[in-house]
Amino acid sequence: MLPTPYTKFDYDKVYEPSEDSFLLLDCLESELKFLDEKLKGKLSVVCEIGPGSGIVTTFMIQNSIPSLNSSIYLAVDINPWALESTIDTAARNNCKGRYLDTIQCNLTDSLKANEVDLLVFNPPYVPAEEVPQIPESKGEIDNWLDLALLGGKDGMVITNKVLENLDSILSSNGVAYILFCARNKPEVITAEMKKTGNWKIELVETRKAGWEVLSVYRFERQH
Amino acid sequence: MKFLTTNFLKCPVKTCDTSNDNFPLQYNGEKCQLIQDESIEFNPEFLLNILDRIDWAAIIIVARDLGNKSLPPTKPSFSPELSDDDLIVLRDLHTLLLQTSIVDGEMKCKNCGHIYFIKNSIPNLLLPPHLA
Repeated sequence: MLPTPYTKFDYDKVYEPSEDSFLLLDCLESELKFLDEKLKGKLSVVCEIGPGSGIVTTFMIQNSIPSLNSSIYLAVDINPWALESTIDTAARNNCKGRYLDTIQCNLTDSLKANEVDLLVFNPPYVPAEEVPQIPESKGEIDNWLDLALLGGKDGMVITNKVLENLDSILSSNGVAYILFCARNKPEVITAEMKKTGNWKIELVETRKAGWEVLSVYRFERQH
Repeated sequence: MKFLTTNFLKCPVKTCDTSNDNFPLQYNGEKCQLIQDESIEFNPEFLLNILDRIDWAAIIIVARDLGNKSLPPTKPSFSPELSDDDLIVLRDLHTLLLQTSIVDGEMKCKNCGHIYFIKNSIPNLLLPPHLA
């Protein structure tokens, strides 16, 4: 089993690594061989949307996911605290000397189209009345944290934006790992995407976490 | 933000996507403060993979924005057996693409003119609510 990164940050400001984060780590570990075969021998642009503490991106850097000496890591988050925490977590786990940049933006809106080879997204998946407004200042700490959790109707408002844009986010050979909770109805969403788009989608991991059932799906293009 | 990252950043304004002017962003050479960070070690294979992938025209434009006019007009290519001269070129590219960082500065979209800032090495491409 690969080591879990050590994290230490103010969890009033960023999402504390929890069951969902650990499920993603386990998922990526189980996908090592798949990713190496799919992406080896070329540069991989790895992008995590919403890294929060930075645990997942740090885990990928530490363990050379998808492969050694051929990946650059971009972590994008709207929460400025999450970007600071991601840099901090990477530094605590001896990731200095690896290519990591953090970018403050909304989802992948500022990334050039079709450049991401490996996308990882643990979205705000909790169903809620609405998606919270983006705070106007860095100091509105509670609001930043809400943004990391609440996903509006069915908890899918933010995830849907990424799924709708997936074709323009991923490179031609790109692959995405996206986390869902059962209330997001991932089986309905993925069935619909397979019907209407050119997607190959597989359930990689699923786990009961307290009263939630979490799952990670892998998305890639049909070839 | 490392120099190479400029090769992946565009203006986030939706309506700019239909223009050809939203990439690369235009970096303000007078405002951009650069540092050399030598923590990433030179790895020729990594550099070759990067070169294979990047948009060279955009690299030239951004380098010029930042005061470096020495890049060749076409992307350097190398034979499988790297010569000493090849390694010198790759080392120079390593210095530019991986070791040069913009710590503070600003850049704008050539289509909509919106200005984005870089602070503490983190570019901020969040749009104000009326543009989002």
